[in-house]
Amino acid sequence: MKTFFESLRKSKAFKNFILFLSVMGPGIITANVDNDAGGIATYSMAGAHFGYALLWSLVPITLALIIVQEMCARMAVATGKGLADLIRENYGVKVTFYLMAVIFVVNLFNVMAEFAGVAASLEIFHINKWISVPLSAVFVWILVLKGTYKSVEKVFLFACLFYVAYVISGVMAHPDWKTVFQETIHPRFQWNLGYTVMLVGLVGTTIAPWMQFYLQASVVEKGIAVEDYKHLRLDVIGGCVIAPLVAFFIVVACAATLFKAGVSVETAKDAALALRPLAGDYAAWLFSFGLFIASIFAASILPLSTAYCICEGMGWDAGVDKRFEEAPQFFWLYAVMIILGAGVVLIPRFPLLKIMYLSQVGNGVLLPFILMFMLSLINKKELMGEFTNSRGLNVITYITVVTIILLTLMMVGFSIFSF
Amino acid sequence: MENKMKFFLYFSEILGRDVLDDKNQVVGKLCDMVLRLNNEVFPKAESIIVKKGLLRKEFANILLEDFQEVDGELKLKITRDQIKFQRQPFVSDFSIGQHVLDQQVVDIHDKKVVRVNDVHLLKVDNQLYLAHVDVGLRGIVRRLEWTKWVDVLVRYVSPKSPYLTQEELVSWKNTHVLNIGRTKNVVRLGVGREKLARIPPTALAEIMVDLDIFEKFSLFKVLNADMQRKVFTDLPVQEQEAIICQMEDQEAAILLEHIPADEATDLLLTLPKDKTRTWMRLMQSETSKNLQKLLGFSKDSAGGLMTTEYLCLGKDALVKDALQKIKDNVDYPGSIFYIYVVDDQHHLLGTTSFRRFINAPPQMPLAETCYPQQVFVRTDDGMEEVALLLERYKFSAIPVLNEEEVLQGVITSDDVLEELISLTWTKYKDQL
Repeated sequence: MKTFFESLRKSKAFKNFILFLSVMGPGIITANVDNDAGGIATYSMAGAHFGYALLWSLVPITLALIIVQEMCARMAVATGKGLADLIRENYGVKVTFYLMAVIFVVNLFNVMAEFAGVAASLEIFHINKWISVPLSAVFVWILVLKGTYKSVEKVFLFACLFYVAYVISGVMAHPDWKTVFQETIHPRFQWNLGYTVMLVGLVGTTIAPWMQFYLQASVVEKGIAVEDYKHLRLDVIGGCVIAPLVAFFIVVACAATLFKAGVSVETAKDAALALRPLAGDYAAWLFSFGLFIASIFAASILPLSTAYCICEGMGWDAGVDKRFEEAPQFFWLYAVMIILGAGVVLIPRFPLLKIMYLSQVGNGVLLPFILMFMLSLINKKELMGEFTNSRGLNVITYITVVTIILLTLMMVGFSIFSF
Repeated sequence: MENKMKFFLYFSEILGRDVLDDKNQVVGKLCDMVLRLNNEVFPKAESIIVKKGLLRKEFANILLEDFQEVDGELKLKITRDQIKFQRQPFVSDFSIGQHVLDQQVVDIHDKKVVRVNDVHLLKVDNQLYLAHVDVGLRGIVRRLEWTKWVDVLVRYVSPKSPYLTQEELVSWKNTHVLNIGRTKNVVRLGVGREKLARIPPTALAEIMVDLDIFEKFSLFKVLNADMQRKVFTDLPVQEQEAIICQMEDQEAAILLEHIPADEATDLLLTLPKDKTRTWMRLMQSETSKNLQKLLGFSKDSAGGLMTTEYLCLGKDALVKDALQKIKDNVDYPGSIFYIYVVDDQHHLLGTTSFRRFINAPPQMPLAETCYPQQVFVRTDDGMEEVALLLERYKFSAIPVLNEEEVLQGVITSDDVLEELISLTWTKYKDQL
């Protein structure tokens, strides 16, 4: 027995696995936060309105997500700097300032959407939003300001496990697996407005601009060395596969029940409520529990990542371990994000649905700019050294980025149209 | 105010401004300023880089002598034909745009890393010198060209705000540029070294943690050998690793030789094997032999914990030999409480302690005083096992054997304690 363990310990595969575990985190967490309140709402609607007809799109979306996220991770390892840092140093303070201003507004809308998600999911469990929202705001505050990166990362990695709830509720909905499989590998495009809007929505919610900043910052924070890059890439790709996989099960769950019964839904809460008579109490509970975890998870990460990235770009001191007098801008930004983000949800008759739309539009407007900055940065030889894009990869990346830009522009158009 | 304008000039006031030729025609826009890299306190401006074209950008490098004035207006003495434009951007050893503006620099006075928002130029006899860097909010506002509006607004809201009067300028004497030498291997010696020598090593180590790897290394390279060693030992292992991997093999070997052996071992253990091997070959044989032995074992195994300092005697030794051995080794750094009895091949035959033979007849074979039971650990046993055995048998040291029963070294209880304390401390820190 001992020799077995010994040979295991000495084997290369095992060593690689341990190395992988040590760098694991940034990629998987970022991709999972991606399935936030807005994301889940979009996926539920895609399933409820179009059945399995949009499942195929998740495959190219996954590939696009991998390409974008991998570039960020590579930049982080090669330069040791965050995305905001790089933009500031290469494009100057003017560009950075306006970009950061837009990021602040867009991410603020995103945070509002997350807290709205917290309120909605807990209302299904009959918890009033006047209790749930302030409590979760306090929770987020304490978790992040009192934790170290290491301990917070552990909590987040653990939270990722809860996305299994969606897989289970997908299975509990008893879909027709044969059709599901066929639809996934057979792209079939429907030429109508509603379908296109939904398709664009799926892309826009899966590839959000704040993800690039967050991923790059957390890789830098973790201090992953160039030698460990191949393990990090595995983590990033793994995350980019898991996130659309969860989305896949959400679409399946809604398609197998709501689409079949012809129920129309507008929000994730609608979907959870509508699931109850069709798939049973447990499926509905699992669904809303997943929504709660997703929302609070994203609500913990977004304000912090925004505050860090803005301070980084503007050259202000930042860090949760600093005192208020040392980093006033950082704490102000963080506080405003949480207080405003949670506060508006409590305003009676506040148009939350429109906020959700606005956050999607904002993401869409911002993403093309971020992607263009990234493409320009990653091809700078003096910055990236041997880590610049290869010619082949550049072609693929350009095609992906142009497609994403076109689609998000379409989404912005549609959202303004439907607004 | 009028007077002050004459001597000082912000770089943001001329950045992006039109450059006019002798006939007052626009040639292009100012996009960068090249400075002379030397040991003067304030670097002198050498030339100005002018950019023209929007999609098809072209650049020209114009010497400062060719300007009539650089202040309110950027006017040339020369004609348009004398300017040579090229498609490639100019890469210089030291320029404001590439190395100072928007970059991070070390503020030596406040011992921290700051980002440069604007550059303050000193104007003497139509020559420009880099005098200060602006790291404050006013600098950002000035770059955004909002100064007028923001000033009016702030004066209206709170007329006594420090924002209105306080310029956060850091003298060039007190700054250290970081990313020089990132593209080329230009190192500013002399001045940089003198400036940095004013910061204590611990503070320097703290500053370095905040920098990215290239900046870290460029800062490190400027330090003299003695300072390098001091700063290096103050850095966490992760940072040490990042720095040493950037160094030339010969430099790395010399550095490793001069830092404490336990620090070197801890560092070498985290590094790839081939690197370790190369460096060891370059080290003096004495140092590398010592490190080699300690390196063969994983850090938290018995082999990694043990020391090679212990007392042993052959199997025919008598009690009086043992007493003599202890007397001879009173100053021995290892534990002298235990004596290990070994055969010719250094196999462990038994362990005896001072307490067991001090009252025994001197002519008695030492082997007879040994503990009836052999207690030992293997080189690859974990620390927990070592701790358990030490506690169970109330030993203060335990022998370490390899697979062939050959005595390798001993572990004393304080070695284990040290390791446990640091482990507990890490866990405790995590909970905070």
